[in-house]
Amino acid sequence: MSTNLPQNPAPSRMAPVDAAVEILDALPGGSVVLSKVEYLLNWSRASSLWPLTFGLACCAIEMMAAWAGRFDLDRMGVIPRATPRQADCMIVAGRCTIKMAPIVRRLWEQMPEPKYVISMGSCATCGGPFYYDNYSILKGIDQVVPVDVYVPGCPPRPEALIEGLLKLQEKIKAEPFLRRALASKA
Amino acid sequence: MAALAVKAWEAVAGLYAGLRVTWRALLDRKNTVMYPIQKVNVAPRWHGLLALPVDPETGSDKCIICFQCERVCPDRCIHIEAGGKGKDRVLTRFDIEMDKCCYCGLCVEVCPTEAIVFVPHYETSTYNRANLLYDLHDLRRAAPKEPIAHGVIKVRGL
Amino acid sequence: MALRTEELMLNMGPQHPSTHGVLRLVVTLDGENIVEIQPDIGYLHSSVEKMMEYRTYLQSVALTDRGMDYLAALANEEAYLLAVETVGGIEVPRRAKYLRTIMLELQRLSSHLVWLGTFGNDIGAVTVFLYCFRERERIMDLFEQVTGGRLHHVYFRPGGVYEDLPAGWTDRVLQFCDEFLGRLEEYHELLTGNPIFLARLEGVGVLSREAAINMGACGPVARGSGVDFDVRKAFPYEVYAEMEFDVPVFPEGDCLARYKVRMEEMRQSVRIIRQAIAKLPAGEIRAKVPVNVKLPKGEAYVRTESPRGDLGIYLVSEGNDTPYRVKIRAPSFSNLYALTEAMRGGKVADVIAILGSSDIILPDVDR
Repeated sequence: MSTNLPQNPAPSRMAPVDAAVEILDALPGGSVVLSKVEYLLNWSRASSLWPLTFGLACCAIEMMAAWAGRFDLDRMGVIPRATPRQADCMIVAGRCTIKMAPIVRRLWEQMPEPKYVISMGSCATCGGPFYYDNYSILKGIDQVVPVDVYVPGCPPRPEALIEGLLKLQEKIKAEPFLRRALASKA
Repeated sequence: MAALAVKAWEAVAGLYAGLRVTWRALLDRKNTVMYPIQKVNVAPRWHGLLALPVDPETGSDKCIICFQCERVCPDRCIHIEAGGKGKDRVLTRFDIEMDKCCYCGLCVEVCPTEAIVFVPHYETSTYNRANLLYDLHDLRRAAPKEPIAHGVIKVRGL
Repeated sequence: MALRTEELMLNMGPQHPSTHGVLRLVVTLDGENIVEIQPDIGYLHSSVEKMMEYRTYLQSVALTDRGMDYLAALANEEAYLLAVETVGGIEVPRRAKYLRTIMLELQRLSSHLVWLGTFGNDIGAVTVFLYCFRERERIMDLFEQVTGGRLHHVYFRPGGVYEDLPAGWTDRVLQFCDEFLGRLEEYHELLTGNPIFLARLEGVGVLSREAAINMGACGPVARGSGVDFDVRKAFPYEVYAEMEFDVPVFPEGDCLARYKVRMEEMRQSVRIIRQAIAKLPAGEIRAKVPVNVKLPKGEAYVRTESPRGDLGIYLVSEGNDTPYRVKIRAPSFSNLYALTEAMRGGKVADVIAILGSSDIILPDVDR
């Protein structure tokens, strides 16, 4: 499965963890421990996704409705953070203009790794109803940031957004979080 | 001094009134729907996914290839091609780009035979944008293209 | 000894938890006091007016409820279709007019509930957000049963509405109205007597009556400054001439006055809905209009009262099935300008309170 994790992480910070992973992998039975630890880490990462609220247009209202009482996103551990430094995913909800695109990119770059992007709504997926005869809307935000999950709809129901988040959780749980150093060496 | 006491009393009374409301709401019935375990019943007119349901008598969809839906779509996301001439016209291509579709329902309104309808599916998230191009086969199936997420998967070992 | 201070230029950027949409405010601060404030808009410009020149009148209805003010989608459709019907001389049947009025007032309730929720959220009263969205979910369920959409409806058509009401809908609406008035009292209990709320809003962002008129403020912003003008009373459209309702006007001009105007407007909307349902006639819901309606040559300017203010559409037709030019007079554009003038001299925290009380929405400003 493709992953958003950087393929060659900076060696200086991750060196002890990578060394530990390699040693553990070489020991007999160590790979079992490794996979269990990785499962726990992935599970905790997926169960507490804190998105950067990037509500641009109409889909932002359905995103707010998803956080309100009826479809409580807090049950999934999803708490909105206003600053990119504390967020691990970005829900781009709504149409992004060309004037706004550098700001989307800058906020995405300010998020710490590992980060994910959910594109909510038709306009963020491909420009949607604003695709033809339009000079100012970006035709999909995957032109500026790499997207993990697309949630189509105009606007998608809050349940559809929750389903998109569940799909992202599945993707995170299947990621080789600790083993990526091994994967890049092999 | 008396004015200060009056102001203090008003402040406390205002806060107490607000707290009474929240206390009542705490003991009240909650309206949370535990998706995905519980789901809300959508209305019959809900604009979900588009589909070309198969008529059980003829074994095919009811489309008469009049191109009305393609012409009325404001996002130009329906693409129809037909082969053959006259009475033997057959649909070769009926693509709807569900990622562009704005679910407005104009195509459902103008269709003379009710061939294209809304089905109440809304769980259509996908990892790959190419999955959102629904061709004739997908529209006849009238179901979302990727299975609905279940939220928990088992991680296999190395 | 005097401290040497400098002025700080702060960027309240397009991504901010409190601005209602992507608005950028460049403020020059002297400590906490605002010296100069400059809004930077255009971050949501969707070129709606140009797109409408390439879409037929029926296709544009799907565009009006997304590209302009999306919280009052039906109000946008209404303004556009009133212009189309005025130019084309299309007569709307009585039942359709009543249905449109009921839907418009429900939309006004839903839009004001979002305003109240986000306003409370910005000021710090986070509980109100959850309560307002709980009520709003009920309104959206009612909408979904009729139009099929929660936020974007595409329900009005040139010449009427698309489908008739399902069975039992009017009873559900009346039941909702009864419960809603009780909830409105709850919001008043939570907020209007609260000392922190009052301290935050009383006397803040005062817009005088002359300034409001000179800068073209409209809607609840103008009515909160003492300007007694409501398009539904002055230039009645649909069946507003037959409905009895009051227009709340408060003279103070501060944020609290605008808040009181909108709360009272919610009560009056419930009153209009009840009257319209009681008087709902039977009959046709749509005039016979072809799918690709061709309007004769002509132009029209219509005004409607959207929840944000005075929404106007100027339509020029050259005899084809697409318009030659559509110009949208957006209420939030003038309200934003009027209120940035009111923000000067205040404090930074007041900027959020004033923006919240003005109930602007960025796609309406940018279109």
